[in-house]
Amino acid sequence: MKYTLVLIAFFSVVSLAAQRENTRQVTYIPPASSSSNTKACSVNNNVTAVTEEATLSASQPLLISVVGQGVAPVNTASPAQAYALAKRAAIADAYRLIAEKVKGVRIDGKDLVKNMMVQRSTVRTSVEAMVRNANIVETTFKEGLCEVEMEITLLRNQFPH
Amino acid sequence: MRSRDGNHSFTQSISTLILFVLCSSALFADEYLISYQYTVKDSILYNEKLFISKSMTKCSGKLYKNSLLLERNGLNSFKKILQNNKILFFQYLSKIGLNVQNYETLYNQTDHSFIIITLKTTCFKVDFNENFVKIAPLK
Repeated sequence: MKYTLVLIAFFSVVSLAAQRENTRQVTYIPPASSSSNTKACSVNNNVTAVTEEATLSASQPLLISVVGQGVAPVNTASPAQAYALAKRAAIADAYRLIAEKVKGVRIDGKDLVKNMMVQRSTVRTSVEAMVRNANIVETTFKEGLCEVEMEITLLRNQFPH
Repeated sequence: MRSRDGNHSFTQSISTLILFVLCSSALFADEYLISYQYTVKDSILYNEKLFISKSMTKCSGKLYKNSLLLERNGLNSFKKILQNNKILFFQYLSKIGLNVQNYETLYNQTDHSFIIITLKTTCFKVDFNENFVKIAPLK
């Protein structure tokens, strides 16, 4: 009697396990196609949203606007010189931002881990580009920080390939 | 045969035309090779170089459509004229096109950035007029 009860319990457990396996659904995640215009963006180490990225179409020009920041050096002869130097630095920063947006950034990362501890962490980013017809829209100078708003209009025929 | 007085109005108009042509055309023109570079380190302007030299050989290429007019203020040296109108000249360079190089390093959570803006050596045609100079690059 005991053995029959044990056998019944064993068979019921086996049948339940088989049922669960049959009901499990297989989900297939297709790989992201190259033509897709969606991009996953990460903010503060959390993958937050899938946003739509603006693309350059043949009919409509694309306007890119950036704000570059520059700081005046400490030892300047006059406030005017400080403004001029900070503005030049801000323009360079705006150029960099335009280059990064249009051409993209090359990123090289290197971490050294010794005895399960990070000894050295280095991230190098670089971009090289040629920027033409960029316009300064607005310049503000406040407390030693200069901000330059710069715009560039991209046309499809500027990129033949 | 007509007298000299009879041709007076004709002579006057011709001389006015010649004077107008002489005034409107450039006094003299030269070609200059210009290169420019400035470096920004950690958001602070670090180094700026502007090299100007007269071209020893004739430059070839098409003249850029939009030219820049700078006031002479009685100066004859092109370098001094550029120094006086630095902001205008720099704005003009941004229309022509500048090379951007950016290198950024994040080492143990400390960021260092280095931006280099360069105008590669370009030949500019410079027309000296009485009150202003006209600059346009040859491409």
